[in-house]
Amino acid sequence: MRKTLLMTLVLLLALGLAACASGGRSDSGSSPSPSSSSPAASQAPSSSGPEPVTLRIAWWGSQPRHDYTLQVIEMYQQANPHVKIEPEYASWDDYWKRLAPQAAAGNLPDILQMDLSYITQYADNGQLEDLTPYLNKEIDVSDVSESALSGGRLGDKLYGFNLGVNALQVHYDPALLQKIGLDKLPDDWTWDTYLELGRKAKDAGLYFETGLRPEVFFAYYLRQNGQRLYSPDGTSLGYDNDQLFVDYFTRTRDMVLMGASPTPDVTAQIKGIEDDPLVKGQAISVWQWSNQYVGLQTAAGRPLEMHPLPGPNVKQGMFLKASMFFSIASNSKHKEEAAKFINFFINDIEANKLIKGDRGVPVAGKVKEALKPLLPPELQKVFEYIQWAEQNSSPADPPDPVGTAEIIALFKDLDDMMKFEQITPEEAAKRFREEANAILARNK
Amino acid sequence: MLSKSARKSLLYHPLVTVFTILMLYPVIWLIMSSFKPSNLIFATADSLIPKPWIWDNYAIGWKGIGGYTFGTFIGNTFVIVALATVGAVFSSAFIAFGFARLQFFGRSFWFAVMMATLMLPFEVVMVPQYILFSQLGWINTILPIVVPAWFGQAFFIFLIMQFIRTIPTELDEAAIIDGCGRFQLFARIILPLTMPALATATIFSFYWRWEDLLGPLLYLNRPKQYTVSLALKMFLDNETISNWGAMFAMSVVSLVPVVVVFFLAQKYIVEGISTSGLKA
Amino acid sequence: MKARQLRNHLTGYVFISPFIIGFLAFTFIPICASLVLSFTDYNLFSPPRWAGLDNFQNLFSQDTKYWKSVRVTLTYVLFAVPLRLIFALLVAMLLNVPFRGIFVYRTLIYLPSIIGGSVAVAIMWRNLFGNEGIINLGLVFLGFDPVRWFGNPTAALWMLILLAVWQFGSSMLIFLAGLKNIPATYYEAASVDGAGPLRRFFRITLPLLSPVILFNLIMQTIAAFITFIPAYIITKGEGGPLDGTLLYPLYLFRKGFVFYHMGEASAMAWILLMVVALLTALLFATSRFWVYYESKGGS
Repeated sequence: MRKTLLMTLVLLLALGLAACASGGRSDSGSSPSPSSSSPAASQAPSSSGPEPVTLRIAWWGSQPRHDYTLQVIEMYQQANPHVKIEPEYASWDDYWKRLAPQAAAGNLPDILQMDLSYITQYADNGQLEDLTPYLNKEIDVSDVSESALSGGRLGDKLYGFNLGVNALQVHYDPALLQKIGLDKLPDDWTWDTYLELGRKAKDAGLYFETGLRPEVFFAYYLRQNGQRLYSPDGTSLGYDNDQLFVDYFTRTRDMVLMGASPTPDVTAQIKGIEDDPLVKGQAISVWQWSNQYVGLQTAAGRPLEMHPLPGPNVKQGMFLKASMFFSIASNSKHKEEAAKFINFFINDIEANKLIKGDRGVPVAGKVKEALKPLLPPELQKVFEYIQWAEQNSSPADPPDPVGTAEIIALFKDLDDMMKFEQITPEEAAKRFREEANAILARNK
Repeated sequence: MLSKSARKSLLYHPLVTVFTILMLYPVIWLIMSSFKPSNLIFATADSLIPKPWIWDNYAIGWKGIGGYTFGTFIGNTFVIVALATVGAVFSSAFIAFGFARLQFFGRSFWFAVMMATLMLPFEVVMVPQYILFSQLGWINTILPIVVPAWFGQAFFIFLIMQFIRTIPTELDEAAIIDGCGRFQLFARIILPLTMPALATATIFSFYWRWEDLLGPLLYLNRPKQYTVSLALKMFLDNETISNWGAMFAMSVVSLVPVVVVFFLAQKYIVEGISTSGLKA
Repeated sequence: MKARQLRNHLTGYVFISPFIIGFLAFTFIPICASLVLSFTDYNLFSPPRWAGLDNFQNLFSQDTKYWKSVRVTLTYVLFAVPLRLIFALLVAMLLNVPFRGIFVYRTLIYLPSIIGGSVAVAIMWRNLFGNEGIINLGLVFLGFDPVRWFGNPTAALWMLILLAVWQFGSSMLIFLAGLKNIPATYYEAASVDGAGPLRRFFRITLPLLSPVILFNLIMQTIAAFITFIPAYIITKGEGGPLDGTLLYPLYLFRKGFVFYHMGEASAMAWILLMVVALLTALLFATSRFWVYYESKGGS
């Protein structure tokens, strides 16, 4: 009885979704609405030209990104008059809130921006198109390194095209650093140096750093020690030695307890970059991604510097991360056209002059070279750092497995509890292992 | 209830004034912040008076996003809110009359169903409803947001029902004897008498819808269709600098219509409500 | 006679037909779908998998955060609703004085409620309670210690409770209307009989106001249980610190839209619906002991 119910349910929903995906829509992914493809269809200027096509593209970001992306889209439309692109954009959390129901209804935009923490979820469930067949056809990758491409690979399929490369950095204010007697951060510094500098900062009345996101920096620490956070198939944790957990989190907790890093309630009140302790002159460094450097410096209004993370084994720990991807929805009706747009975005030099590395350092070599001399000095620094990182990193971890969102929440909970001294790092290590494995086990 | 003795009124005004100011402090803070430069808003959060006082936030904010000015967003919101409010109020009144005045089989059942819809958080039906509207092809139109309003809204139905109940049934009987059909009874007699309730419902509907974020977020994907609430959210972003100044400025601007509508209608609400009362 | 009755029934249905149609068209199927979903394992992307009572079992026995969110929500409701109603009543009485400029006060005091659920308000509220925010400044001024609103789970919840209380305007208006409905003659008669203000309040005001109190009580309780946006924005969607502000709808949202466990989220929603419906029915049932309907005679 239950089985028949289940079958009926699945059938109904499958029918529903199928009807949804194929029914009543003649153009790509977008639903019939006044501004849909009919104007494009009635344009048909050239008698022998390609058929008019409407593409939907979605991305997250803020004002500056929306502005230049719209300009790039306009550029593409001018060069390809048969293509009309309808942009949909929103802020980060609104973007994902909106995307999920769209996926459930089989209604994703043709081109969608993707992030490492979500791509597995969408790809595993068949929402994204494998891009491999389009490589070296619609998308010219002659100039793109394999390691740059690999970020979007799951298994042997390519689900997202890397839009730009990021690497981890320490961004710091040299003027504030001088208050603890240093002109720049030591080249071969280690985690012990980190604690030392923390003490000095506290004595000078400053925070040394503003908090390290556990899911990012603990993963780096594991890599330094030859381990990985997740197992290759994503069904359990990838490290066995809980002592590593204890070492890392004891350290970050001690920084907070000694006053060199803000307590969780202070961090909770930070509204945005302009509120960041470094910007307000209260902290020496911020640990984050390379594509956030320019934003921080602009907000701070004074020159900053960048520096690699502490060692030992920096090269083992470092990796190049795809900052974000463009993926193509499986429900798209115009996949080739979508691929062509992605090609334009990656390879066109004029377009990238507008993009200016906002989405990460471009992956196409020619673009990087053409762009660099035209960039303001702080962006050039970022480009150079990435070049350095390319030589000084090891292969990146595969995209995060399904369940990452819960694990990130778990990290935050435990981290906060440790910083409020409600549990010891040893207890936290055990709890983390138990609960994270339970979450990941659902992927079996 | 309070006596009007002279002594009381001497205490009264200062007391109420202080209370009002305390209540309004956050709002005043909001308005003052809109005249401060973005990077100073939180740094100088304690002092109300902006130093320097700038008007730029309003100009920048008005320019809007992606080439659409805030005027567009306010216009969009207005259309949606107006259509939905008119639909909601009249359909709810119509339905309320049915529940309040007419006897029919299954009335309690449908009343219970209606009350139940009040208790369901929207997130629950969000995804199935989205799929439903997607199959109807209504995505990217204002239809999913506006059309359901024309089929009554539980809160208003209940509210208007209570009002109708205070109207003596003798009025109904007199009208029927005079040959009035049910529909005329509703339109000519009951409806005018429930004006206060209708005004109240209009106000509530107006400002709830004006601030609604989830509906527009799900169903309006194109920036040119965005409503005020969505547009305001767009000024904020975790990755780069949020434009607080512009956001606060436009928040203030977007609050003006709501306040105006309330101001105009508040007379009907209080004076009107009192004459018919809310006794169940 | 029978034909007449039939016509009456039909007329009734004609009038409520918009509700029925709308309900069947837009709400019924999604509600059923969500009920069915609560018995499935559904991650939004692939078809749901039947899971029987697993979701409920999981929530009740394995999910510690679930019970946390229940406790947090109950605490919230327990404090926010009575405080809000009491404030609303007191202020309504205060503003029940008839003089010409009174509508100015009324509008101004009602203002916070109108600007209600907007993002700007939540952000502003968060800022007021910052470590160096105006509230702490005020506390220090009055000789108290500043409170770490964001560091203490209980204090953080009180941020939300205070926000709810600050927006008591709608309840106040309804109370005001109810107050105006009480004939002044009652008070005059009581005064003549020598009854003081307290006596008048408890013997006249409260009983005659009780239907309104019931309405407000029910409406506010329901609203408190489904509060989402303030919690979402003030805690940046996380329900911190240490789950101190993890209101039930917020946890529901996270389960469904951040962790993609829509099945469990639907289960949570239905549990909430049952509880609120039960509570409402209880309030209605006990109301006959304390609510006085003038039209039906004394209680």
